[in-house]
Amino acid sequence: MQALTDNALMLQVRSGDLHKMGLLYERHKKRLFGFYYNMNGNASLSEDLVQNVFVRMLKYRHTFTGEGSFSAWMFRTARNVNYDHHRKNKATYGQSEISSVAYKIRDSDDLETDMQQKENISVLHRAMKLLPREKREVLVLSKFKELTFREIAEVLQCTESAAKVRAHRALKDLRTIFLQLETR
Amino acid sequence: MDTEKFEIWTMEYLSGELDQNGRAAFEKFVAEHPKYKEQWNGLVETWDQLDSLEVPEPSAEMDGQFYQILHRSVAREEGKGRSWSEGLRSWFGPLFRPQLAYGALLLGIGLAIGYFLNTATATVPETTVVESSSETEAVRGQLVLTLLEQPSANQRLQGVNEANKIAKVDEKVIKALLQTLNNDPNVNVRLAAIESLTNYVDDAAVREGLVQSIVHQESPIVQVTLANLMVALQEKKSIEPFKTLMRSKELDTSVKQKLESTIQQII
Repeated sequence: MQALTDNALMLQVRSGDLHKMGLLYERHKKRLFGFYYNMNGNASLSEDLVQNVFVRMLKYRHTFTGEGSFSAWMFRTARNVNYDHHRKNKATYGQSEISSVAYKIRDSDDLETDMQQKENISVLHRAMKLLPREKREVLVLSKFKELTFREIAEVLQCTESAAKVRAHRALKDLRTIFLQLETR
Repeated sequence: MDTEKFEIWTMEYLSGELDQNGRAAFEKFVAEHPKYKEQWNGLVETWDQLDSLEVPEPSAEMDGQFYQILHRSVAREEGKGRSWSEGLRSWFGPLFRPQLAYGALLLGIGLAIGYFLNTATATVPETTVVESSSETEAVRGQLVLTLLEQPSANQRLQGVNEANKIAKVDEKVIKALLQTLNNDPNVNVRLAAIESLTNYVDDAAVREGLVQSIVHQESPIVQVTLANLMVALQEKKSIEPFKTLMRSKELDTSVKQKLESTIQQII
């Protein structure tokens, strides 16, 4: 069963074998959850949005043609779900659950280094929060979600070169915001 | 170099798209151009810092809610009656969008149910209940099969638990549970499979499957659980497999003693 590609599974879902959506869910739930968590900084909202993506993929399964990659189609749906949520709720990154932001500190005996690292991560979180959503999105997709730029281009519906340029500019802006916050 | 070209090249480097030669060429270019070097150093630092943003694990409730949704969708899909929907689509497909065709279909079903409820006798609701419960059983059976194939042990355990909720399991589910008992790498899942299979020990195939699985077990706790079960069932066919197991060099000494007493109790 594992040997079946995502595209083959989704085509089976499309032809009525809805159980196969369970396998796709198992394969991709963490990626999607990570995408939403990095976008919104809220774990329980991220879980709700992951559900919404799968509900939407079930509802609009007939629109999956199997021509592009399943991941790109799934993240395009995820992106739309995120937009719809924010349009309805006008929420911003981490608005309701900022305390759930987790820190990953590398092993170190040096307390001062740990504190510095913790501070940097905190500033980076704030910088991510201040980055416009479109920029945060392309950065999250290119950095964390194991998508190729060809797939990211499919998600964003632009050319591959344009996706790379957008990712670069988002990273540059994040750096600028990070430095501004650091010097405050 | 054109700024945009450099931006594209940078992202190709950072995302690992470049091969060894490509990476070397990029590094050489950056080293030779101080204007780009400064920009590059800053960007690569921020790119690496992003690795320190941690994402928590999603909760088990998310899985539970998803499977409930899937469950309902499957039940709805099967309840729709494919031949009817396909028939209507072929009739109305060229004229209407699918949403309208489904809308018309649902309206039709609604009217039919309304008419039916008005004229039905007392026996009709009972039939519906029986049908819908057998439908739920079928959906649950499918869910068990899907869950037992999952790479996560928790999911497979959930699959075995789902099997316990089925009043009358079909051959496929029994086969999947026996396969789990023989091949699952996780001891807890195998133990849960034994517990689940004990619900169906009246079925000769299940008893046979349990007996045959004895020689495949390497875990002492699974071997002892099966021994206890065979004593309870007084299953004489299990004596030979237990003797085979006792000849195994790797068998734990206390398990060996347990198997000896098991054989005595069955004889």
